[in-house]
Amino acid sequence: MSGPGRDPATTPASDSAADAVANREAWNAKAPDYAEAGRRAWSGERPPSWGLWHQPESELNVLGDVRGLDVLDYGCGTGYWSAWLTRAGARVTAFDNAPEQLATCRRFQDEFGIAFPIQLASAGQLDPERFRDASFDLILSEYGGLTWADPYATLPECARLLRPGGRLAFLKISTLLEVCWPLGSAVAGDELVMDWFGLHRLVEPADSSVAFDLPPGEWIRLFREHGLVVESLRELRPPADAAPSRHAFVMLDWARQWPAEELWTVRKA
Amino acid sequence: MASSDPDTAGGLTESARANRAFWDGYSTEYQALHHEALGGDPAWGLWRTPDAQLGVLGDVAGLDVLELGCGGAQFSLQLAARGARVTGLDNSEAQLAHARALQEQFGLSFPLVHGQAEQLPFPAESFDLVFNDFGAATFADPLPMIPEIARVLRRGGRLAFAHASPLDWLCFDDDADAWGSKLLHPLFGMRSETDTAGTVAFNLSHGEWIRLFTSCGLQIERLVEWQPAPDAVSTYRDEPTRAWARRWPIEEIWVVSKP
Repeated sequence: MSGPGRDPATTPASDSAADAVANREAWNAKAPDYAEAGRRAWSGERPPSWGLWHQPESELNVLGDVRGLDVLDYGCGTGYWSAWLTRAGARVTAFDNAPEQLATCRRFQDEFGIAFPIQLASAGQLDPERFRDASFDLILSEYGGLTWADPYATLPECARLLRPGGRLAFLKISTLLEVCWPLGSAVAGDELVMDWFGLHRLVEPADSSVAFDLPPGEWIRLFREHGLVVESLRELRPPADAAPSRHAFVMLDWARQWPAEELWTVRKA
Repeated sequence: MASSDPDTAGGLTESARANRAFWDGYSTEYQALHHEALGGDPAWGLWRTPDAQLGVLGDVAGLDVLELGCGGAQFSLQLAARGARVTGLDNSEAQLAHARALQEQFGLSFPLVHGQAEQLPFPAESFDLVFNDFGAATFADPLPMIPEIARVLRRGGRLAFAHASPLDWLCFDDDADAWGSKLLHPLFGMRSETDTAGTVAFNLSHGEWIRLFTSCGLQIERLVEWQPAPDAVSTYRDEPTRAWARRWPIEEIWVVSKP
């Protein structure tokens, strides 16, 4: 990440193509680890839910009634959200940057008999011929394209793809957890170790994957710049009966005191 | 000059009473320490960052403006001098006495109202801009205050306020009386804090601020998170705190509008 004093408005876009290649390799390698969790969602064993501690959509009410909506699963992974939303009556299109994740998704489509179009594509670089302007009512990213591609490219792209009145909902690691998580470390601590100012591009030393985040003020500036109205910022807290997540980068005790995950919803004016 | 006394109009909340007692006792010392830094062009926060740099208020000429928690009304005087029709409200009569003396000194007159921000003595849709700089948004309870502000704003009007960031609250070490890198206080449940002097300050997480704004029909325009300049001088904070604030936001400005 860059140091203090950086002016985000004048920061040149990162090398998106190179980052997408790095993330493709990293997620192709990780894909087998995500198949089991994907199966639980696809099978219906796990109802639609958000985040590391699976907070039910029926309690959070982020999406509302999706019947008949054109939905883009923006970095679908194993396609579990697409399966949930298709089952709920939405017309879903899904894409992902990693062929191995899409292979899992195709397998589950056959196994569970739920069909929706899936494409190999990179967030922030979607082909305007295949992904037309103003063609979606809802864009959803749970640790998807809004995490693994540069928001300076993905936010304008989401604004382009949404119809007026359409919504973007994305879940990511909280900015606070981000600055308490030393790069290369397995777990976040209770100490600020990274600068908040200039937070943008984070390279994981273990697998060279590249994640992105911004301070909340810069997210809001980008939303407004692209005609998106802030609806809500949900700071997720694990339920009292939550079991430890299989993702061990944050402890339950931490997440009960500070939000480990943030869920933004914005609406195109 | 308008005046209003909530003591005779329904009574003060407990926190407003505590904060009134503190500011009535501390006002003269506060003004001696900070009055000079509060002069000059409109500026925000602990290191007096110019509004011209942050671009929050812009041109205020002709606007009906309410400063909530105006203290000595230095900021209001600067906006009045730029053509705004200003009203200043403060919870402390002692602070308003300083404001009146400054009005005389500068030959500028505008209403100064004694009251608390949780119950504003103004009709609906009276103002184009409500603002404060470490004023009522620090010392008044936001849950009753923000609906009141939404009520007195006109359509198209704005609310802008600077206050301590939630991160400031998380990392303040009461024993050391300084900011460190450890998270010492939880964010969930953040609402109010009573300090050793007995003043009650209020804050919310970003998500809870957004929920409160939108529930009152206010639209989020900006959250300005900024760093003090490397050589910035403050009458409020020392150099180690400036170094902290260069890495993490210690202060922030919310700007919201009433569509």
